[in-house]
Amino acid sequence: MNPNLISNELLIEMYKKMLTIRRFEEKIAQLFAQGLIPGLMHLYIGEEAVAVGACMNLRKDDYVTSTHRGHGHCIAKGGDLKKMMAEILGKATGYCKGKGGSMHIVAPEVGIVCCTGIAGAGIPIAVGVGLSIKLRNTDQVCACFFGDGASNTGAFHEGINLASVWRLPVIFICENNYYAISVPFVKAFNIKDIAVRAQGYGIASAIVDGMDVLAVYEEVKKAVQRARAGMGPTLIECKTYRFRGHHEGDPKMGLMYRSEDELREWMKKDPIVKLKMRLINDGTLSEREINEIEKEIDAKIKEAEEFAINSPYPPLDAVKEDLFIGG
Amino acid sequence: MERRELDFAEAVREAIKQEMQRDSRIIIFGEDVGYFGGLFGCTKGLQQEFGEERVRDTPISEAAIIGTAIGAALTGLRPIAEIEFIDFIGCGMDQVFNQLAKMRYMSGGQLKLPVVIRTPCGSRYPIACGAAQHSQCLEAWFIHTPGLKVVIPSTPYDAKGLLISSIRDDDPVLFIEHKFQYYARRQPWIRERYPKLIEYVPQEPYTIPLGKADVKRDGEDVTVIATMMMVHKSLRVSEALEKEGISVEVIDPRTLVPLDKDTIIKSVKKTGRVIIITEENLTGSVASEILSIIVENAFDYLDAPIKRVCAPDVPIPYSPVLEREVIPQEEDIEIAIKQMVGV
Amino acid sequence: MVVIVRLPKLTWTMEEGLITRWLKNEGEMVNEGEVICEIETEKTVDEIKAPSSGILRKILIQSGNVAKVNQAIAIIGSPDEPLPELIEFEERRIKISPVAKKLAEEYKLDVTKIKGTGPEGRITREDVLRAIGELKEKKIELPGRLIPLSRMRKTIADRLSLSARSAIHVPITMDVDMYEVKKILDNYLESGFKVTYTDVLIKVVATALKEYQKFNALFTENGILYVDNINIGVAVATDDGLIVPVIHNADNLNILEISKRLDELIEKARGKKLTTKETSGGTFTISNLGMYDVQMFAPIINPPEVAILGVGRVMDKPVVINGEITVRPTLTLTLVFDHRVADGAEAAKFLQRIKNIIEKPFNII
Repeated sequence: MNPNLISNELLIEMYKKMLTIRRFEEKIAQLFAQGLIPGLMHLYIGEEAVAVGACMNLRKDDYVTSTHRGHGHCIAKGGDLKKMMAEILGKATGYCKGKGGSMHIVAPEVGIVCCTGIAGAGIPIAVGVGLSIKLRNTDQVCACFFGDGASNTGAFHEGINLASVWRLPVIFICENNYYAISVPFVKAFNIKDIAVRAQGYGIASAIVDGMDVLAVYEEVKKAVQRARAGMGPTLIECKTYRFRGHHEGDPKMGLMYRSEDELREWMKKDPIVKLKMRLINDGTLSEREINEIEKEIDAKIKEAEEFAINSPYPPLDAVKEDLFIGG
Repeated sequence: MERRELDFAEAVREAIKQEMQRDSRIIIFGEDVGYFGGLFGCTKGLQQEFGEERVRDTPISEAAIIGTAIGAALTGLRPIAEIEFIDFIGCGMDQVFNQLAKMRYMSGGQLKLPVVIRTPCGSRYPIACGAAQHSQCLEAWFIHTPGLKVVIPSTPYDAKGLLISSIRDDDPVLFIEHKFQYYARRQPWIRERYPKLIEYVPQEPYTIPLGKADVKRDGEDVTVIATMMMVHKSLRVSEALEKEGISVEVIDPRTLVPLDKDTIIKSVKKTGRVIIITEENLTGSVASEILSIIVENAFDYLDAPIKRVCAPDVPIPYSPVLEREVIPQEEDIEIAIKQMVGV
Repeated sequence: MVVIVRLPKLTWTMEEGLITRWLKNEGEMVNEGEVICEIETEKTVDEIKAPSSGILRKILIQSGNVAKVNQAIAIIGSPDEPLPELIEFEERRIKISPVAKKLAEEYKLDVTKIKGTGPEGRITREDVLRAIGELKEKKIELPGRLIPLSRMRKTIADRLSLSARSAIHVPITMDVDMYEVKKILDNYLESGFKVTYTDVLIKVVATALKEYQKFNALFTENGILYVDNINIGVAVATDDGLIVPVIHNADNLNILEISKRLDELIEKARGKKLTTKETSGGTFTISNLGMYDVQMFAPIINPPEVAILGVGRVMDKPVVINGEITVRPTLTLTLVFDHRVADGAEAAKFLQRIKNIIEKPFNII
């Protein structure tokens, strides 16, 4: 990695994006604790470097398939915070008019075309997106996010194999946070790295420190270049960690099945703190500028919160709408 | 006008071919659909005409076939995915019922999924005994999944018109083809027995709206609601019973979602007697659903308890004598009708 | 205490019964065990006894009407106690289709006065239209006389259809030399006893069934019931149709006892006096059409039994014995068995055993 290739503007942008995700998720946790959120919340705190590092390589017309833990992907790809927050609160002004909720926020205008709560199910769908790109003969790509748990589904196998056979422009990004809810990685895999599976499908792969946004950025960049050049898919395994439980309300924030020591070790690698120190240390940003950025982000989150809280719930007639186009 | 007659597979093929000529966004893929032309010949010659990009063989990966269709449809294509036997769809079922069916609704109408899944179903007794995992009629699973349209044509004319409508529809359509209906050309006795399996089909593309049942035969005494092969069996029995003075009306719903309740109810009000005949296992069947609709909407017009003639609740056994026993036969239909009219 | 009298199930196959006559009127005192009404079931007439003493408070099924097995037909109780509502409901229950009911209401017809012709006596739209007078009867195309099926004829039809549909009938045939049996019959006649071939065949078959239990069986939903007793039914033609009185424990009776019992049963059958017990419990049936000059025939199995013996006429036939052509009285027997229960070789052995006993009948006299 040659940090000189990355402009300061890009670094600042990465920092802002990661911090936005962090603050957004902290706000959700707060609202959840206040009882203002009706549904299940899977927060992205701790994993911000993966979504941001990956999506900084994507254009607006590139595609993303997302997961139950998808807020980070949506924000990193440029999703609207107000519409996201409103959706999470089940409001009519949300992305999905309150019909999808946290696990199903799609934002086609920024390329998020699929957000599914079934582990692994987005993988074959990303393959179809790749096929569409190939047949429409554009140089778009599709980034397909999924977790370590999804890597053990049949859909993973079927999807990656087909993407390989058809050489489709899909970047499979595995967010290995080491736990499928409570089941630790070692009880679900007899290999050290999920990325080795790429060999079985005949595609390129990489293993990346998912707590380092620049490392993720660099690896995904290479994969995106290959994909745009028609050289087929890549499997990138990002080793990461969630700082909170599987979902808000997970007993003891996930410390039933994880140790405090382990959590503390991972929190030392906080990607936002790491990038902030670097920006300050190399003089890119001053403390004052950092504070301003934080204020600016907090204001945006506040605005989204107020928008969502003040938005109406969907009208009951909406129950029967949006099933079919032709009604 | 030129009288050209097509069998069921030829009509399906012509619909796909003409639509692919019309719209370059239409692609088709599945197991054996490419060079081989499909296990039942429905895609024969298409790869030669449209090339390997638009007509694709896939690995045995039902989840990937359906998922790929979803992803392609989300981003501008109009895919037709083929599942080689409906029995295999379980392997990709999450993609069908959790993804394809729900994505538009849970996106609040932001997404559009113009996907057609074509898949053959049903018993081929006595041509080929497919046993428990290659002979099923599973349409009831899909009417229980909001968000899918379900089309189950019985004749070549309907197949072409309904398939063109399905391909042009912007919503997901499960297009189920009863595979016994493919064989009328190869096995002359089938055509002799069920003459509507080879019939006049116009050359030019045409559409039949989804949600419009067809009265295959007018009658006064009893209404038979039948699907796919049971339409043909019911028609044959009805012709014979006409000579005995029993007048049977045969209705083919043609599409289960949307379902043309009006045509069904209208006929029930006319005859007061209803028999619903499908090849599915009885419990939780399409037949049960239609029965419920009739009871809810036309109870006061019924002159006898509604009968269902379906397969018993067992898997399809292999031995021909057992398969024959399980699949509703013409004599079962005849007995049901006669009991209903009290002969 | 209110006691509800329900129609009992008197035979394996009984589903309903016709109340032919009430011997007690409403309000009369009845004693436990006293006969209160007569019913006709399937093929026989039987009696219903009061299950307890008291006043016959209410008759729910009037004579001339059919009741289902276990349906309430009457209530016995003390003079003043209130009757349960359920009974009122059962009494009022009339089978009528929804459209017929609606139509009857429109025309203010009393549906209890309309005769239902639909399945299970349901009143249909046609029945109501007929009552209104709007429906012209469909003319029968051919001239002739239409006689509705009698209960008995219907029972015969239903049971034979059931048997023909479900059992897999396989007939096997054998010629039997009746020389020795004929000698026995002649001896009996000399002693003043008129014994028939059928009497002897009952004894022969009962004897053979002891060794071939497989054919002394009933095909039931739960499996094949091999019955301990040997109860031989004999098909008897009456003016109303076929009836099959049963000789119970035939293997324990000698030929003369069988002969006497069969005479009694035939007499009762012709006078319609057979009780349910006398026509039920059969485990094997013999059908003899020899008296009508039939040479051989394959009857339909009497369900739930699993085999039946068709008996033809005894006729003199030339046969070769010890290289010489000689004339012997010969009988052709046809055993029809249910292939679901037994195989051909087993049935053949069973029939062969019958033949052997007949040709050397010394152990059965």
